[in-house]
Amino acid sequence: MTHRTTWIWALLILATVLSWELGHGPGFGSHPERATVAVMLIAYLKVRFVFLDFMELRAAPLPLRLTFEAWAALVCGAVIALYWSGLARYPASL
Amino acid sequence: MNARHQMLCTWSGPVFVAVFTIGFWWLAHYLPPPSPNASAADITALYQQNTGQIRLGMLLMMACSGLVAPFVAVIAVQMKRMEGGAGVLTYTQLSAGTVGMLFLILPALLWTVAAFRPERDPNLILLLNDLGWIFFLMPFGSFVVQNLAIGIAILAHTGPHVFPRWAGYFNLWVAVLFIPGGLLTFFKTGPFAWDGLFVFWVPLVVFFLWYGAMFVLLRQAIARTAPAGAAA
Amino acid sequence: MTHLPGEPGVWVFIVGDLLMFALFFGAFAHYRAQDPALYLQSQATLNQGLGAINTVLLLTSSWFVVGAVQDTRGQRAGRAGTRIILAFLCGAGFIAVKFFEYREKISAGINLTSNDFYMYYYMLTGIHLLHVVIGMGVLIFLWRLLRQSALRDSTVSHESVIGHLESGASFWHLVDMLWIFLFALLYLMK
Repeated sequence: MTHRTTWIWALLILATVLSWELGHGPGFGSHPERATVAVMLIAYLKVRFVFLDFMELRAAPLPLRLTFEAWAALVCGAVIALYWSGLARYPASL
Repeated sequence: MNARHQMLCTWSGPVFVAVFTIGFWWLAHYLPPPSPNASAADITALYQQNTGQIRLGMLLMMACSGLVAPFVAVIAVQMKRMEGGAGVLTYTQLSAGTVGMLFLILPALLWTVAAFRPERDPNLILLLNDLGWIFFLMPFGSFVVQNLAIGIAILAHTGPHVFPRWAGYFNLWVAVLFIPGGLLTFFKTGPFAWDGLFVFWVPLVVFFLWYGAMFVLLRQAIARTAPAGAAA
Repeated sequence: MTHLPGEPGVWVFIVGDLLMFALFFGAFAHYRAQDPALYLQSQATLNQGLGAINTVLLLTSSWFVVGAVQDTRGQRAGRAGTRIILAFLCGAGFIAVKFFEYREKISAGINLTSNDFYMYYYMLTGIHLLHVVIGMGVLIFLWRLLRQSALRDSTVSHESVIGHLESGASFWHLVDMLWIFLFALLYLMK
């Protein structure tokens, strides 16, 4: 097994622990929106590593790679945008 | 001669889709579907206002339902070329596809009964409407098995070219997308209700996409056998 | 030099699946924005630790599968087979954790129809779980193929084994990737 994919695996585990801490721990304290955006961006980066290095799309024909890159960016962007649109409805106690 | 019959059967697919669309959408106005959350009075009003159109629309739906049989049969004939011998997947597809026709015939019958006496007790109209929609959208089992049979037959095939391999994966994908239909039993609102994204809209689009793709693929497969004539 | 992993057809399925899950994620985010209080309250009852353990299990299984593809290319079918078994065990671990997680929820009286959050929770994790089960079937198929190849069975060519391994690996990575987004959406968003 090449060292590169092992390092990426370790990085992905680390990112999982970090996002778990952000979601489950105090995160950014009184700023839940920052924790949410951070969690989504970390998920996006993890997904990108899985696409490019595990699925080997880095070396795949460009149209296929771009399809996956666009999908990940679109999902992450849309979720953050929809989340932001709902912030006004957040209960005051948070 | 056989190739010409097969081509005729293949054309029954788009004719079915066209007649179904006219009856279901243009005449009966079942697109978008009425909400499963609607009251008996609202549903009854729907049948009282569109009585004639629903009757005519369901007549067309009933008429075109028969066209599913030749389309399923021509798929079976091409599958038989891949499978040969005992051909269990061919028979699975043929029987599951034939049972699938029922879920066009039964809802059309039930909606016809509702529109037959729209002046009856609103609760009975509601019941008939429920029965029709649940018959129409819930029975995913036969469609899933039909698509799995086609998909597996294509992917397991190694002989002369009949269908391209992507068509096998496409059929497996279609099979997966029909599964959420069964969930309508739990919900009256939201994306898993019978008027929702994952129970109505996605399967509907996928269903028509499947007819379009299979039509093109069947034509190509038949055309490849035609010059050889009896040899195929 | 570009290289398309696996056979082209498998990407039809994977891209199709991506489309479906994009709709799932979008629908969840849309409805969550309508009533954040309900979603936050319900999310607080989920076991985030189990969600994290499952993420680690799937990432690790994906890493084994990456190694198996590399071993196969290097003509080490025996080692590749071992890695596929380890990946399969991680998948089995994922299912076991999910079983306890569901049981915890159901015994607390929480089911599919409790509220909208739990509807998405059960539906999305359930449909994903179906993918895990299908993926484990694919892993068994790959393991058998590798065993034939290790035994120098002449009916399987080296190229076809690599092709099948790349196709199956791509599907397994898809399952892993979908869970990464699901974990963020269902368990972690604040």
